[in-house]
Formats: sequence, structure tokens, C-alpha cells
Amino acid sequence: MNQFTFEGKQKTVLGLFILLGLVCMGLTYLTDDELHTRFWSNFLHNTVFFTGIAFVSTFVMAAFTSAYAGWHTIFRRIWEAYSLFLIVGLGLLMVLIGGVWLHYHHLYHWTDVTALQPYVNDAGVYSDVIKEGFKENPNYDVVLGGKSSFLNKYWYTFGTIITVGVWYLFAKRLRSLSLSEDENGDTSYSHHKKIKFVSAVFLPIAAFSSAAMIWQWVMSLDAHWYSTMFAWYATASWFVAALALTILMIIYLKSKGYLEELTGEHIHDLGKYMFAFSVFWTYLWFSQYMLIWYANNGEETVYFHTRMRQYPVLFYGNLIMNFALPFLILMRNETKRKFGTVGFTAALVFFAHWFDFFQMIKPSARINAEHAMHAHHSAGGHDHEAGGHAVDAGHQFLMGFDFPGFLDIGTFLGFAALFVFFAFSRMAQASLIPKNDPYLGESLHHHV
Amino acid sequence: MSAVVSPIREPLIEGGKSYHQITEDLVGPTEKVPGFSWILCMAISLGLFTLGIVSIFWTIFFGIGTWDLNRTIGWGWDITNFVWWIGIGHAGTLISAILLLFRQKWRTGVNRAAEAMTIFAVMCAGLFPVIHMGRVWLAFFIFPYPNTRGPLWVNFNSPLLWDVFAISTYFTVSLLFWYTGLVPDFATVRDRASGIRKKIYSFLSFGWTGSAKHWQRWESLSLVLAGLATPLVLSVHTIVSFDFATSVIPGWHTTIFPPYFVAGAIFSGFAMVLTLMIITRKALNLEEYITLQHVESMNKVILATGSIVGVAYLTELFISWYSGYIYEQFAFYNRAAGIYWWSYFGMMFCNVISPQFFWSKKLRRNITFTFFMSIFINIGMWFERFVIIATTLARDYLPSSWSYYTPTWVEMGIYIGTFGLFFVLYLLFSRVAPVVAVAEVKSILKTAGDQYVGANATHTHHDRQERATHIND
Amino acid sequence: MKKQNKEVLYGLYNDEEILLDAIKVANKDHLDIMDVYTPFPVHGLDPLLGLEESRLHIAGFVYGALGTLTAFGFMTWVFTRDWPIIFGGKPYFSAPAFIPITFELTVLFSAIGMVVSFYTVCGLGPGTENPTLDDRITDDKFCIAFDTAAYSNDQLSKLKDFFKQTGAEEVNTKMI
Repeated sequence: MNQFTFEGKQKTVLGLFILLGLVCMGLTYLTDDELHTRFWSNFLHNTVFFTGIAFVSTFVMAAFTSAYAGWHTIFRRIWEAYSLFLIVGLGLLMVLIGGVWLHYHHLYHWTDVTALQPYVNDAGVYSDVIKEGFKENPNYDVVLGGKSSFLNKYWYTFGTIITVGVWYLFAKRLRSLSLSEDENGDTSYSHHKKIKFVSAVFLPIAAFSSAAMIWQWVMSLDAHWYSTMFAWYATASWFVAALALTILMIIYLKSKGYLEELTGEHIHDLGKYMFAFSVFWTYLWFSQYMLIWYANNGEETVYFHTRMRQYPVLFYGNLIMNFALPFLILMRNETKRKFGTVGFTAALVFFAHWFDFFQMIKPSARINAEHAMHAHHSAGGHDHEAGGHAVDAGHQFLMGFDFPGFLDIGTFLGFAALFVFFAFSRMAQASLIPKNDPYLGESLHHHV
Repeated sequence: MSAVVSPIREPLIEGGKSYHQITEDLVGPTEKVPGFSWILCMAISLGLFTLGIVSIFWTIFFGIGTWDLNRTIGWGWDITNFVWWIGIGHAGTLISAILLLFRQKWRTGVNRAAEAMTIFAVMCAGLFPVIHMGRVWLAFFIFPYPNTRGPLWVNFNSPLLWDVFAISTYFTVSLLFWYTGLVPDFATVRDRASGIRKKIYSFLSFGWTGSAKHWQRWESLSLVLAGLATPLVLSVHTIVSFDFATSVIPGWHTTIFPPYFVAGAIFSGFAMVLTLMIITRKALNLEEYITLQHVESMNKVILATGSIVGVAYLTELFISWYSGYIYEQFAFYNRAAGIYWWSYFGMMFCNVISPQFFWSKKLRRNITFTFFMSIFINIGMWFERFVIIATTLARDYLPSSWSYYTPTWVEMGIYIGTFGLFFVLYLLFSRVAPVVAVAEVKSILKTAGDQYVGANATHTHHDRQERATHIND
Repeated sequence: MKKQNKEVLYGLYNDEEILLDAIKVANKDHLDIMDVYTPFPVHGLDPLLGLEESRLHIAGFVYGALGTLTAFGFMTWVFTRDWPIIFGGKPYFSAPAFIPITFELTVLFSAIGMVVSFYTVCGLGPGTENPTLDDRITDDKFCIAFDTAAYSNDQLSKLKDFFKQTGAEEVNTKMI
């Protein structure tokens, strides 16, 4: 049984979860602060997380194809379905972009146009040079001003649209070649050669562009802070999340009687990947943390200082769930072959990497919001020191920032249901196991 | 073995080899008297090595002052060469460990030589920090042992001490891994030898019999050692990068250093493996075991890691601007347009631009081109370390201390000497042990031999029909 | 596995697939195989011979854990109890700085421990000379060996038939 049917019951359940997500988002919006920070940061968080999974799925397919890997062919269609979600991701990102243009949200400090140029006149016109009638801009933030040729709404808008658009075109091309191989493939394997070509071209494009996207979407939340590692770190997080979601999907499909030829051997390999890349993620995490800790530069340590002191649950929870637990559970070979254990770990790790992005986004969004509200309430009272990041005193526990609350989890479930809904609908379009792929035989008879 | 092999996989063993033929071809070179070219190479290598020994004695006798290091530039060719050799020493473990875990079969053709190369490269690398200490006879101070100085312990918080642990661990584990792989092959040599050779190889082969239980444990050991060596190989260059990145020197203190150093190390390591293997396969007639397919796969790794390094260079460059930190910005301006601009361009050209030629399949499978590229890349990677070390130190925070550095003949002599050491060891190895893993090649014969897979396969396998039915349904 | 004064009846096969088929026959006939010798690790052999999975990796974990504790514990002791010194403004107990050495020693302990265990358990080591049945076993022959002491003369001829029937190239006896 290799033709997936998207049943009415599944549609209903997923639809209900999407509804739950919408209700939670609505409730968040209503119960939120005046800038709707929780709502918007949830939106950004889930959009980035699921778009990233779609991106990584495309990337993994391309990388595996280029490396002559064969064993994954049997579940390649799942990654194809995931990769197509990029178009939905682009739609969601457009909402965020719209928010930047229309000032619906204040997620990013760099959207504060009053801070970018050193001089201002009474009419509120800003200038880079001193002119007649201009005086010093009390709000001027020299760091933001220096970055404004990258951190601005034009780059944010067109960079995102072009990059995600290009990713989607690649995902779509890979998909259509794969579908056409089902229909017209023969032993000359001309389709596979084309897939290989498209994959090879995609890899460098993806490597260069994904970093820029992560800087804009996530790292620029801390507009004063920077770390060269950050993009690779976030990509590793996406990667593990995508693997976990793949494992969960496979286990679900098997429970429904699909993918009969998929055995413990495949799950073993996926488990190994999840284990290895959890360790790799930890390696990147540690390298970034250790170097910043060791050098002890104020403008760098502020990032971890805030998280360790004010968000200890996020900081340590992230490490425990993303390193300690998968490491200990998956270390033994036997556990990597058991569907139950691997499935449980996959669910844990999937949530944990969502939690990792929560940890990256929420504290920064909250600081930006407090900052924006502060500026809003006391006109012109824009404090300079460390860009207003030093809000150490009087940190109060706030649901949705210090810890994911019910509304945030509900929103997450809604987005996840949307992702799965979309993936199911794409999976139903073709056979679950690709036909005529030159590596199919290897994948169907995969033995370690 | 009845594994299914994709019809588009190319064979990794050519010439329709039988098991016996593999033994003949791979063990054969250890049984012959070396030819003239080997003796010539050995003589040259010994000459270079002698120069190195003289230079080292010169350094120790007259002191570190015979180098051109000064108060501003405290690290010069010595540390550059150290990092360069350590980087080269990464390919072996990568090939044997990571590719074993990823089940890339082409590793069996090159892993043995690559591991040997790793061990020799690490030996060359280890030399530099030791002589750089100046008073080499006190080198044992780096080990934490109860002593009469307090007992004053070593500084466990220092990345330089982490290096001591990382490199000695790496050397030990690589050696164990390599030797464990060699034991069954030494047994093969033993069983073909007679007289004194038989005695020597009996000793070296540890009494290997080929018992099923031994093979099972041997495989289990290899797998776990591979699992350990994989994070280990990452950790070694990571810790080398910590030597720089834990500081607050602009251009050194950047969080991307660990993975970027590792990628660079793999990049240069593969280049060195290619340089050696292209010569070895020709000299020992191993073209049927180290095929164009192997060369192409390695060139792909070079292309991938070269591009990763390129992404890292550009990331650094961009973030130095983005940081808004003038010293960071200056550090990169200085690299590209400062006194050592030529080394920056050498690095960019050799490491980022030149590997892009490997997008062409034709060039990936061109032996001559690959050979020159592999040397090119190692020059580029040397420049990278020189850029990071000398360029950065020459222009520090205090303009009154700005300085310039050129190596003296002693420093160059030591560097050339390490080449001598490296090639002496490699030449010896190529005569003493099979340079291609005999047992491992045999184990992939039925899934990678050209009589079983590929366009010219003659053996029809029962799985072939099975696969055909899958394609048709 | 020094000289055991055992008389061994063994057959040599040319291919590992013939060997595997032969072992299947032997299992069906309830023949007690002493050992199987091959030039390279043959997949699918272990389950046929009923070999239990090697526990070497468990030993590796224990050695590794020992390394972790040794390294981290020692550095902690040195810097918090024995001789506390502040380096670069870091606290005495600066865990992030202890991680690299802890990791290295974990790997070192695990690797050395496992390799030593491997050679000890297999009875191999520098200078060990185990008797071998045939020089070609490390080249291209696959060998099934029976300990003759366990068989009567009648049964021995049955074993020889078994070798003939399963396609052995050569059948010999040897004292080891």
C-alpha cells in the first residue's frame, strides 16, 4: 500500500488543531501587551521554525543525492512534501514583512527609524550630516546606524522574498522531476541525472543564502549583538527538528500500514543521524557559548548573560532536552532500532528544538518590546547604554516569554497541524515510494 | 554478499579481481626490493630531514633568537606550520571514521594510506610547539604530574594545554585505530612470507587467525573507535581554533572559528591524500584499486569543504562589518589591503576560487589537473594560517608596536625538514605494510568489483532480477 | 589460544557464499563447528554460528565514563581544593573551560581500554603466535574447522561427506 490517501478523519483532526492554533493566537492577541509582542513573537517563532524545516528538507535531499546516498529513497517523498511547505512559509513571512512596513509589530529594534541617523531637525527629518537647523539626535544609536544598510525593511523584504522564492523553485523542480521519474523513468536514469544536477546547484545557493536569512529573521532581534556562528547553529537546530519530524511521520505512516518495506534498519540510520546531529548541535552550541564566555566581551556576553540569569529554564532546559536526553537515550545501538524509543526521542527532540528557537527569540523580543514601550511612553527618553539592553533589575516572570504557556503551545500545535496538513496533501498526490529511482533497490533492501 | 547495488553505482575495484588477485596486488609491493625511484625519493627525503635536524639543533643551541619572531609577532612560521600539519592530519581519521559511519564504500581504497598520513602529519605538527617552547628539555612541564614546584599544576583553563591533551589523544587513538586495521593484513603478509620476514610479521600480526569471533569483535571495535574518532577529529581542530578564538584579538575572536577550522582541515587533508595517492597508485600500480571514482569522490569532498570554508570567510568578512566594531573592521581591511595582502589573495584564490573548477566532472576525473590542484590547495591552506597568525599579530591595538615578519633560514629549514620526516615515514610505510586495506577491499568486492556492478558486469546476481521486478511494478 | 594439541578436521571453501550455505547445512545436521576462519569479516556469519553480540562497546562506555570522571574530578580538585588560582578573571570552578580536556580524556580512556580489552579477550598481542590451519585462510580461502576429539571415527567420515557435499575444495586434518 504505497498510495497515501488523505482521509476525511485526518483532515478533521488537523483542521481542529489548526482552529485551536487560531483561537490561541486570537486569545494571545487580546490578552497581550499593547504592542502584541507575545502574539507577534509567536508568529515569527513558528514561521521561522517550520519554514526552516521545509528548507532543511530540501537541503538534505540535495545533499544526499549529491553524496550518492541510496538508503533514504524509500521515504524521500516525505522530504519532498515537507520541502514544498516553503511556499506557505513565504506566505507567513509576508505577514511579518507587512507588519514591518505597517508598524504592526515592534519585534526588531532596527525598525526604529528615529535611531538610525545622528542629526534631526524640529520637523522630524533625519540626516547623516549636520545641516542648517539640525541638532544632534538624542535617540541616535551608533551601532544600529552602522548596520542600517543591511538591517532595513528593504533588505528584509526583498531578501526574504527572493531567497525563499528561489528555495521554493528548487524544491518544486526537484519534486516535479521526481514525479516525472515515476511516470517516465527508464533505465537510462536521465531523471536522476537531472535531479543530481539541480541538487548540486542548490547546495551552494542554500549554504550562502540561509545564513543571511537567519541573520535577518532571528539574529537581528538582538540588533546590537552578533556571532559568526549563529547561522550554522540555527541551521543545525532546524536540521535535527526536520529529522525528528521525519521519524515521527514515518512511524505514523507505518502504523497506518504504509511503507511496509521500511524496516528497523532505516529507523536505525535515522536514529543515528538524530543522535549524531544532536551531538553536532551541542558542539556548535558549546563552541559559541565557550568562546563568548572565555573572551568575556560585554557586547557579546550580554546575550548569554540575559538568558542564564533571567531565563534559566530556557537556557538549561534547552541543553538538557537537546543534548543530555537524546544523547543518553540514543547512545545504545538497540534503542536506535526500536520504533517506540526512537519515536519518543523524536517527539522530545522536535519539541526541544522548537524550544531552542523559543529561547533564541523570546527574550530578545521581550527586550525590544520593553524598549519600544519605554521609548513610546517617555518621548525622547531613549537610553543609550548598551542600546537599552540592560534591563536586569526587576525581571518578572512572564508566561510566553520565560516559559511557553498554553497559548504558545496551542499556537505551536496549530502551526504544526498546518505543516502536517500541507505535507499530507502533497503526499497524497503521488506514490509514497518513488518509482524508477536508481537507488530504490538499495533502499528497499537496506541492511546494516 | 547479497546486498543490492544500485545500477548507477560505478565499480570501485576494476580488472575483475579475485580474492587471491587482490592479495597479490596489494601485498606484492611489500615483498619486492625497492626500485631505483623509491631509493631516490628516500635519499631526497633523508636529505631534507637532515636539513630539518640541523635547523632544530641550531634553534636549540643558539636559542629562539635565530628565528625572526619579535615582541609583536610572537607566532610566525612555527605555529603556522603546526596548524597546517595538524589540518593535514585530519583527512585520515575523517575517511576511516566518518565515512565508515556514512557507509561510503570508496573509503576502503584510501583509508589505510590516509590514516598513515594522519599519524605522520601529527608527528610533524607536534614538533613545532615543542621546539617553540625554547627550552625543549623542560617540555615535560606541560604534563600535570605531582611536582616539586608547589605542586604547581598546569593551567587547565588554557587552550594551549587543551591542545596538548587533544593532540596526544588524537595521535594515540589514530595509531590504535590504524594498527587494529593493519593486524589482519599483517597476518596476510605473514602467511605469504618466509624466514626472517615471517618472524617479523608474526610479531606484528599479534597472532591473528581470522576466527569468526575475532572478526566480529574486530568489527565492533572498529565501529566504536570510528564513533569515538568522529567527535575526536572535530575536537582537535576545534581546540586548535580555540588557541586563537578565546583571545580578544580582532580577527581571532570569532565564534565561527571551530567549525570553519575543521572544514579547512578536512579540505587540506583531502588535498594531501590526493597528492600522495596519485603518486602511490602510479608507483605501485594500484590504479585498479584507487580508481577515478575514488579520485572523483575525494574531489567532491574538496569542493564541498572548500565551499564551506568560502562561506566562512565571507561570513567573517560580513560580520566584521556588521559588528560595527572598528578594530574588527580594521582587522579584515588589513588582511585584504595591508602589508600581507598577497597572502590573503593567495588564500582566497587557492582555497575558494580554485576548487570551483571541480564543478566540472571532466576536471574531477582528470588526474594531472587534480594533482596540481591538490598542491595548490595545500599552498592556499598554508596561506590561510599565515594570514590568521602573522597578519593579525603584525597590526595589533598599539600602532607603535606594529611590525613585519619574514622567516629566517632556520625557520624555513625546520619546515622543509618536516617534509623530509613526513616522506621518509610514508616511504617506509609504503614498503612495510599494504598501502590499501586488503581485508576491507575484499569485503566490498562483491558489491563494488567491476565484474559485479557497473556497465561491464558479467556476474548476474539473483538480486538483479529482484531489482528489475521492483522497477517494473 | 596457545598450542592445544588438538586434532582438527577442516575444509576450505572458495567463496563466502558457499561457506554460508555449508554452515546452514551443518546447522541442519547438528554438526558442532569448532570455528570458522575467513580472510575478511563475512556478513551474516555471526547469526549462523550463534555468536552473541560483542559486549565490547559496553566496556567502552564504562572506560569512557571513567575518563570523564577522572578528568573533570581532577581538574575540579586542583582548581578548587589543591591550588586555587584565578586565571583571566574566571571563577575557580570554571566548568566550560574543563570541557575540552574532559572530552579528550573520555575518548582516550575509552579507546585505550577497548583496544586493550579486545586484544586480551581475543588472546592476541605482540609476539603471540597462534597456530594457523592453512596459510591461504588470510588470502582467499574460507575455512570450517571441527575438533576431531568430539567425534567418533564413524562420525568423522560423515564430516568428510559433509565437506564433499557442500563443495569444499580441500579437506585436511592438522594438529594444532
